Amino acid sequence: MAEPTTHTYQVNARLAIDTLEAGSGEPLLFLHGAGGLAWDPYLAALAERRRVIAPFLPGTSKSNDISQVRELWDLTLCYYDLLDALGIDRADVVGHSMGGMIACEMAANDQSRVARLIAIAPAGLFDMNDPMPDIFAMRSAELAERVLVDPNSPIAELLGAMPDDVDEQVEVLIQRLGTLNAAAKFLWPIPDKGLLRRLPRIKAPTLIVWGRQDGLIPVSYGSTFRDSIPGARLEVLDQASHLVQLERLPDVLALTWRTLAGPGGSAP
Amino acid sequence: MKTVAFNLMPYKDLPADFEKKYDSVWVSIPRTLYDPRKGHEYYHDYLDALETAVDLGYDAVGVNEHHSNGYGLMPSPNLMASILSRKVRHSDTTSVVVLGNSLALYNPPIRVAEEMAMLDVLSGGKFIAGFPVGTSMDTNYVYGINPSEMRERYYEAHDLVMKAWTTDEVFTWNGKYNQLRYVNTWPRTAQRPHPPVWIPGGGSVETYDFSLINDYSFSYLSFFGHKYAKKVMGPFWDRADALGKDRNPYRAGYAQFICVSETDAQAQIDYEEHVKYFFAKCMHIDPRFFEAPGYRTVASLRAGLRSQLDGTAKVGKAILDEGFGWKELVESGYIIAGSPETVREQIVEAARELHVGNLIWLFHCGSMPQHLTLKNLHLFAEGVLPHIRNLWPEWDHRPFWPSGFGDPTPDTRRSAA
Repeated sequence: MAEPTTHTYQVNARLAIDTLEAGSGEPLLFLHGAGGLAWDPYLAALAERRRVIAPFLPGTSKSNDISQVRELWDLTLCYYDLLDALGIDRADVVGHSMGGMIACEMAANDQSRVARLIAIAPAGLFDMNDPMPDIFAMRSAELAERVLVDPNSPIAELLGAMPDDVDEQVEVLIQRLGTLNAAAKFLWPIPDKGLLRRLPRIKAPTLIVWGRQDGLIPVSYGSTFRDSIPGARLEVLDQASHLVQLERLPDVLALTWRTLAGPGGSAP
Repeated sequence: MKTVAFNLMPYKDLPADFEKKYDSVWVSIPRTLYDPRKGHEYYHDYLDALETAVDLGYDAVGVNEHHSNGYGLMPSPNLMASILSRKVRHSDTTSVVVLGNSLALYNPPIRVAEEMAMLDVLSGGKFIAGFPVGTSMDTNYVYGINPSEMRERYYEAHDLVMKAWTTDEVFTWNGKYNQLRYVNTWPRTAQRPHPPVWIPGGGSVETYDFSLINDYSFSYLSFFGHKYAKKVMGPFWDRADALGKDRNPYRAGYAQFICVSETDAQAQIDYEEHVKYFFAKCMHIDPRFFEAPGYRTVASLRAGLRSQLDGTAKVGKAILDEGFGWKELVESGYIIAGSPETVREQIVEAARELHVGNLIWLFHCGSMPQHLTLKNLHLFAEGVLPHIRNLWPEWDHRPFWPSGFGDPTPDTRRSAA
């Protein structure tokens, strides 16, 4: 498995973005969720066939500060700027959770930049009749139970174990809280920032993936995404929760490759 | 020293098993626990007590703002202050403090400039304006303000309110969070150039500096008393020195529960049950709501986390859980309680230690019934107040206290800006 390398791009006058990258071939942009960016087995597998570029959300890595991004619209523009800095006109974009929401924004706002869209349990909606829980008022044990069907599975280790040393604990917590601080900027107090109105603008061929037992974003939200994005497919996988791409890795990979093998979007 | 008779207005009849049965006194406290008939009685008892404090000649009466909170029944402290201003206007000694309005919660923030100007006019220029950033529970969780925007919104609202108070021309505000084509706040404030401003806060360096640089009085509002307050007031005065400000004690105040009785032994008999009610039930706050991500800066986080993880920071309920009784609460300074002699000695010692001019006296605690509240107010006024008034004779309180109506001629009231 190729180890990712770290890169930094000055995407515009205000902001530098850090990325993890590995692999070669056609570029593929991966946008991480509110838990932060970790080079997990799903990304490693993608990098076996594609050049994977995974930006850190501003505010979660060394080169920037969350105050440099004003709101979700500004963030979307910054990610277009990142594509420009990479010299990429149009990329396949995969996003998980909050990253799925940003991927949808990228595909909806400028239809020319996203070739194919894969949104894994994307955030961005809120149904008052089927409310998602408050991720910003949740103990870490509760979070593990909500994002995994089996909170005792080895995948739980990816959520981060706590070191024994107090100084190391502080740094781990600072990193986690910093990531959550940045995510909260775009998701507070609930993640609905009007995406539903923009979803019908998406022209890229779209796959929506959901874990049937998702304890964070209810699977019913998947149907709304499918019904709102023209031609979108929804795949609901059993025995999977919010980290479906890790809990059902081979199946999500197969779905991913099938979507990426299909035709790209018609725009521009 | 100046004494503010300050009332949180708690709900006094939470069930005996409240802290076992329910998650939190704040944010998610069950609405069904609120009985409006009891609420009616509380409001009027509390207002009667505050009016008694005016009659007894305290330097100020004070109220504050909380939301979805079982120990603070004032989502709008301005409503309470407006009632109190009817009596305050006739007093020679007593002002009214709203401590305060969380600026980021008001949309548009000129609402605060307007309502506080009303209070200033109603009271006859005896009004003190408090501008807290606000707790995460009130501002982020209940009022939905994005934690990453809190301080920016607060500072912008502050600048807007101050400009509205000090500018006589109609002006336009083009802010990040507020755009107003016509800012022209009526009524004008009674005091010139504006009411004194107090900044209630916890222990953030940003807040010390903001208070000091603007010559506002900083009020450390905690429920853990004078010994705990040392951790904050020491660094506050260090910042004052660093910024070249004088050490006028009226630059600062701190909150303290104080329970006065005939004797030290009688104080325990009178107040123990009600103090314990406060610390056991009113401090029963779900830790999930302690702090929204982004509420504190990373630098403040780093400092705070270490003391949480290594066990040096233990507050409130955690200490009670370890079996704190009346003796420990008194010895740790969470409460000052006893005979008037005991109480005044301790207040003077605490005020000297902290170097504060403003005592924010929490005269009601937890489930205290009205007769005890009034007893506390009377005994303090007779046996304590006269002995602490002259604590800082060499310092001038006036920069931080109300000045009544400003100069009467409109032509001379041009904005300094």
